[in-house]
Amino acid sequence: MASVRAVLEFLADSTLKTGLPVPVPMEEVYSWAIPLGLPRSGRVHLYTGALYQLMPYIERLGRYLESLEGSRSAAAILRLARALIAAPRFTRTLLSPEPQALERPRAILSRIARFLGAAGYYVAYPYEGDLYSGVLLYDMGLDDAFAEVASRVYRVLKEAGAEEIVTVDPHTTHVMRSVYPKYVDGYDLEVRNYLEVLAEAVDSGRVRLRPRVREVVIHDPCFYARYEGIIEEPRRILRAAGVEVREPRRSGRMTYCCGGPVESISPRLASKIAETRLSELREESKTVVVMCPICYANLSRANRLGLRIIDIAEAFDVEV
Amino acid sequence: MTPEEAAEWVSRESSRCMFCGFCEAACPTLPLGPHRAYGPRGRVYLAGLAARRGELGAEGAAGIYSCLLCAACVERCPARIDIPGLVRAARMLLAEGYARAPGMVPVRVL
Amino acid sequence: MPPRASRSAVLRALREALGPGKVVEDEEIVRLYSREPEGLEAPERPWAVVFPEEPRDVSAVARLAYKLEFPIYPQGSTTSLSGSAYPLEGGVVVSMERLRRIRSVSLVDSSVWVEAGVRIDDLNLELARRGYMFPVDPASSAVATVGGAINSGAGGMRGAKYGTMRDWVLGLHAVLVDEEGTTMFLGCRTLKCRQGYDLVRLIVGSEGTLALVPDAYLKITPLPENIVTAVAFYRSLGDLMETVVDIKARGIQPYIMEFMGENSVKLAASYARAPIEAEGSMLLVSVDVNREATERVLGELSGIMGSRALRVYTARSLEEAEEKKLFQVRRGLFPAQVEHARRTLGKDRVLVIIEDIAVPPSRLVEAVELIREASERLGFSVAVGGHVGDGNLHPAIGVDPEDPEMTRRAREWFTEVMRIAIKLGGTVSAEHGIGTLKREGLRMELEANNALKALDIMRAIKRAFDPKGLLNPGKVV
Repeated sequence: MASVRAVLEFLADSTLKTGLPVPVPMEEVYSWAIPLGLPRSGRVHLYTGALYQLMPYIERLGRYLESLEGSRSAAAILRLARALIAAPRFTRTLLSPEPQALERPRAILSRIARFLGAAGYYVAYPYEGDLYSGVLLYDMGLDDAFAEVASRVYRVLKEAGAEEIVTVDPHTTHVMRSVYPKYVDGYDLEVRNYLEVLAEAVDSGRVRLRPRVREVVIHDPCFYARYEGIIEEPRRILRAAGVEVREPRRSGRMTYCCGGPVESISPRLASKIAETRLSELREESKTVVVMCPICYANLSRANRLGLRIIDIAEAFDVEV
Repeated sequence: MTPEEAAEWVSRESSRCMFCGFCEAACPTLPLGPHRAYGPRGRVYLAGLAARRGELGAEGAAGIYSCLLCAACVERCPARIDIPGLVRAARMLLAEGYARAPGMVPVRVL
Repeated sequence: MPPRASRSAVLRALREALGPGKVVEDEEIVRLYSREPEGLEAPERPWAVVFPEEPRDVSAVARLAYKLEFPIYPQGSTTSLSGSAYPLEGGVVVSMERLRRIRSVSLVDSSVWVEAGVRIDDLNLELARRGYMFPVDPASSAVATVGGAINSGAGGMRGAKYGTMRDWVLGLHAVLVDEEGTTMFLGCRTLKCRQGYDLVRLIVGSEGTLALVPDAYLKITPLPENIVTAVAFYRSLGDLMETVVDIKARGIQPYIMEFMGENSVKLAASYARAPIEAEGSMLLVSVDVNREATERVLGELSGIMGSRALRVYTARSLEEAEEKKLFQVRRGLFPAQVEHARRTLGKDRVLVIIEDIAVPPSRLVEAVELIREASERLGFSVAVGGHVGDGNLHPAIGVDPEDPEMTRRAREWFTEVMRIAIKLGGTVSAEHGIGTLKREGLRMELEANNALKALDIMRAIKRAFDPKGLLNPGKVV
């Protein structure tokens, strides 16, 4: 068991110094957008908060720190953080996430950007400015560090001309919409989630979708369902695409957590919760649709039942 | 919020708990943990304790850090106490040094 | 009784017998097992909480308690509302929460073998897969454990039809606080059982004062094919009770029959925001039916309920009842009481005191009126509701625990409600138990029945099971 304090300091240190919770070169965050040629400035920005892109690293880091259990002190973990902050390229070598695990979020983000385009929602992208929102620091009670991170992220987005941002995952959506206003003076960004944008476009007939899977069981992320009330939107989208949506025993506001948020504190606890949830989901379908990179990582890792776990953005295509 | 204000709020909000335990039905971590500190009823009480006493032991801190902030408990709470808010604020009190806790927090899983 | 062995000797012996992971002495954690709702707090902090993981661990704790003479307090989820589970004299809390295996389910035997820490709702989830259920459903069933329900003799909404815990426990393992920590199987695994004096039913409802129960055989029953529901609102409680009489006269045996007084309806309706025009007193009736009989029974039911009502809402199935939110007002009662207490007292921290009397249903109207009068006299706004089918009432008031004068009046109110029950030929506790809160009430009731000698008999029974008086001392008798 790594010292909780040390893990937190690692994340805070890295976020404050590099803008990312795990120090990696910034291209890792924005390279997905280059082939799409998204403009750098505009009123509406796609802001990913880097969560999709960094999950493979955050996950590996948790495992790595856990492997240090007992043998290394908190001081050693902090020395490691310093070393990686000075040489972010080394992080990939040290943590060596699967290339496939790095590729998948890029593909998902690029699909999302194309959905938005199809909906007539043309977004700019801040590239180097697509910094981590600091949500984990907030969750862990590191308020001072979080407040500093939040003002910086806000400043960078404003400098890029953003008046409105479109977010793509539940944690970033919640923190940008409901937490930043309490920590950033004069915060005035309008925050929309891409599922809300897409659901509206589907409802109004501006976008037509077709299915990539026949049937799914839906796993609501806690932060969409209980904090932000995003429950009907993903269902409307999937149904409009012709995907049959099955509800697990606990869904919507009563959804059951994937266990992911406690991964950095206790991987074992996280995976046991994921196992419980997977066996519940399996009763409804062999294909699970998730909407959050943390859910995806945590459920996938515990998936010994041979379920197919996909992100909602992989469940359908837009009709051109 | 300063740690002092947070402690004030934690103390007040947690005191609303009547200890009915309904929240525990929904908690994913409680059945996997070694005792009630791994469930919302315990966390609410411990958050209040940390705020009032300015310290928390290792077992109690493990309860606070094992929380997912998933808010399933809130749906069951007859008093609609902001349970994840209390947990987060307790972490803040520990992180900002307002409440002392041991460095090593042994999160246990049965 | 002062414990003979020192704290450190007891803790050492427990750790040795159980292993260190099952003994928690951290002061903060021990506090979480030292309290109950209704503002009950251990006057003396226990030394530790132990967490048996196997039935033999329970026996080991009992044996040590006897040998070293320290009190032990068995606990489930501490939701009895009677003060039956919190420790009074230091000692050690025995939490059954890790004993939570469903050992076997046998449909052909109509029974299930479960450990004490299994939650009733979790058991029902498992049984529902097989089309069966365990029908005892206390309001806290989402967290209430089988062991806690056995100890407190729990009932619930389905009590009028299915009875309470004592009707559903076939047999159990009883662990005695004696030299050996003797474990014996009492009762039977069969539905019929004539095993001399019925010790099983003596233990069920004994609030953990006679024996520790690590596991039990429970009776199960098939889930109803379908359930129809009607909710109706009445201008007066008299109209409501006349309707209940009509339902019974027609030979309808409801699955659930709940009522809420005017005040409760007002509170709960505004809290629950159900799409129902709620005013006056509410009667909620569900009847289990064969699918083919759905329309006929529902027609009959809504006819009877509608004849005196301001309005009636109906549902052909549980799904439809959920969709129409017919249970919303009833479910909203407890949170609404909490909210109401906070508003009227102008305090964040409030206690909601919930009574648990039963009177013959024929005396319900009188009971409600007397309770209202008494509440008004003592300065409380009372919310009345309960299980009308079996006459079980749960009047509730909000109290500011920091106001000593109000706390005193609340105690008086509590006693007064019990007096009303006794006067009308009822009982002071239908399903929550005696615990610490109703010991005086029990005495009052027995005295009124010229049965004070029963207390002596109960104490003699207690001594026969637990000669040193170490098991949950200070409760019931």
